Amino acid sequence: MEVTFGALRDQIQKPWDRLAARARWMRRAKLAAMYGFLIAVSAPVLLPYFWMVTVAFSSKTGTVDTLILWRAMAILLPFVFGCWIWSTIGTTARQMFFGFAAITAVAVAAFVILVLPDLHLGNFIFIGERNFGDIVRETRTGSKKGEVSGGIDFPSVWLAFANSLYLAGGQTIIVAVIASLAGYYLSRFEFAGRAAMLRSLLVLHAFPVLTLIVPLFLIMNFVGLLDQLLGVMLVLVGFELPFAIFIMKGFFDAVPWEIEMSALTDGASRRQTFVRVVLPQVTNGLIAISVFSFIRGWEEYIFVFTFLIDNVNWTMSLYMFFVRDDILGIDFGLVSAVGVFYLAPSLVLYLVAQKYLAQMTIGGVKG
Amino acid sequence: MARIEFDRIRKTWGDVVAVDALTLTIDDGEFVSLLGPSGCGKSTTLLMLAGIYAPTEGNLRFDGQVVNDVEARDRNVGIVFQSYALYPHMSVRENILFPLRFKKVAESEARRRVEEVAKLVHVDELMGRRPGQLSGGQQQRVALARALVKEPQLLLLDEPLSNLDATLRMTMRAEIKALQAKLGVTTILVTHDQIEATTMADRIVCMRAGRIEQVGTPDDLYLRPTSLFVAGFIGAPPINLLPGEAADGKLVINGFALTCEGSVAGDVTLGIRPESVYFADAGIRATVDQIEPMGRETLYRVNCPLGSITVLEGGSTFHRRIGDVAMLRFDLGDTLVFDRRTERLVKGAGAQLSD
Repeated sequence: MEVTFGALRDQIQKPWDRLAARARWMRRAKLAAMYGFLIAVSAPVLLPYFWMVTVAFSSKTGTVDTLILWRAMAILLPFVFGCWIWSTIGTTARQMFFGFAAITAVAVAAFVILVLPDLHLGNFIFIGERNFGDIVRETRTGSKKGEVSGGIDFPSVWLAFANSLYLAGGQTIIVAVIASLAGYYLSRFEFAGRAAMLRSLLVLHAFPVLTLIVPLFLIMNFVGLLDQLLGVMLVLVGFELPFAIFIMKGFFDAVPWEIEMSALTDGASRRQTFVRVVLPQVTNGLIAISVFSFIRGWEEYIFVFTFLIDNVNWTMSLYMFFVRDDILGIDFGLVSAVGVFYLAPSLVLYLVAQKYLAQMTIGGVKG
Repeated sequence: MARIEFDRIRKTWGDVVAVDALTLTIDDGEFVSLLGPSGCGKSTTLLMLAGIYAPTEGNLRFDGQVVNDVEARDRNVGIVFQSYALYPHMSVRENILFPLRFKKVAESEARRRVEEVAKLVHVDELMGRRPGQLSGGQQQRVALARALVKEPQLLLLDEPLSNLDATLRMTMRAEIKALQAKLGVTTILVTHDQIEATTMADRIVCMRAGRIEQVGTPDDLYLRPTSLFVAGFIGAPPINLLPGEAADGKLVINGFALTCEGSVAGDVTLGIRPESVYFADAGIRATVDQIEPMGRETLYRVNCPLGSITVLEGGSTFHRRIGDVAMLRFDLGDTLVFDRRTERLVKGAGAQLSD
């Protein structure tokens, strides 16, 4: 029988240039849709932050003036929209660059003319002034200095900052040390109950931590850790560990056994092998769990609110809470400024560690 | 340098027997290959030598001393893995230097030795690079340098050439062999590739399912295999194995009777290497089914009364076409007869065409 391979192929001769044009158009349309979607979903997340920052730097005590906020919005929205449109129109790298440069230049110019002159640092009064509550109240009511008092007794914001740093940093160090050791052991050694332990690590993470708040309060009271930062730190470590161990185990799984065997035959002890050969392979994982632990500690609110009482133990979240409690009705600019101050460190940390966090999915969560 | 003795070594993982009744002596300076299919226990054996695993039973001796419980780091064994297992966060120099960090070697002396061994394996130009920036062949050389820098008494090579391309593999084969001869270090090569084993090693230990099947020179294994397994495993293209029945000086295969020599009876398998079958003016009538020109020689798959067999003919040109009819012969001395029940060679037995 003769095989007529090619007969069908010859029938479907294509108009290549029309197909190419359609493919190009489709690519752009898809790109535009994708960017549009990303902008749409990130707007509700990012806009409040934008407002917070703008209010923190523009609002004045005693006035409810949102003009600057609207001006800033009037610059931001066309800027984002312009970038979105241009990203689908521009084709060459050169076009992209000049297009974005032009749009950015216009936005910056508008910002300098319309917004910049009205920005000020007055709302950051709390940074150097413990008694800021009374001061803004005086400004608001127009009373003389020393006449108004009775607000909350605030500690220095730097004390709260240091407490937060201690809580988050200490927690991070403990979690990183335990999780890397436990993750290594789970990854490399066979022992009774290993599979059950791995499963329970995930289950542990599924429980809402708030349900434990009463028993934890009692335990804290019994062991004398109530109203101590160390107590909250240990509670947080307990809740953070399962996930961190699981992540670290995934990273250790990706380190080949042969490397360890090599190190052992090269004369290293098990401990030396772990420290000098295995750990350097999982630094990305270590950075990832450290950043998450730190930010978890930095944002911690429920436990510090429940277990810490004395204001020398306040963390930034408690400080923020009481500022809102005391001042919000009087000066939302100041509350926003505290928010910016509270947000800045974790934002910086995220930006610095970004590329390591993204690798967490690669390092892999695998059984 | 060391003389290695395995004394009835057995290694089990729960119910699974990885290595059993392994008794073998490897002389000082010898180059021995452990050859076998995957799962035959050769890698386990290697890791027992390195000190990563301890034998379940039996004794492992270096120079007459039992080392069963001596830790890996105290054995001074150099090992090169298939994946090379270089330390990715260290430069080539640091990689080679690493083993010396755990020995009492002065820093300047260590540096000098690193340079020396790097020159020996031709990686002295790459010292500042990271393993990730090297090609497979270069990584392999660095791994070799790292294994040699501590002047090991035993060098272990675990499938060291499997990840290289064909040309490089040939170069490295020759280089490793020359290096071993020059340094005189006792070397054990683990491989599933018979070419690697036969080209490099002085002696080959063929393993199967945790046991030694045959020990011998490359020649021994190729020409005088003692079992069906070794005969089938060694040689590419593989040996023709033709099952038949022997009785009264006749060997009947597929209804075709050959004259049989030696004390042969019952179910047997006749083994003939492809190059031992040749085209002649008279013999068994065969039809050419397939032709594979391989350059130096041509492999024919032919159909004959014995069944489908392969014939290797020397010479770069081939004269036959698919469908051609030709006559085949082979000689008594080139045939091997195996007892199919015990899978062992029947010594002194052979078969030839009846005249």
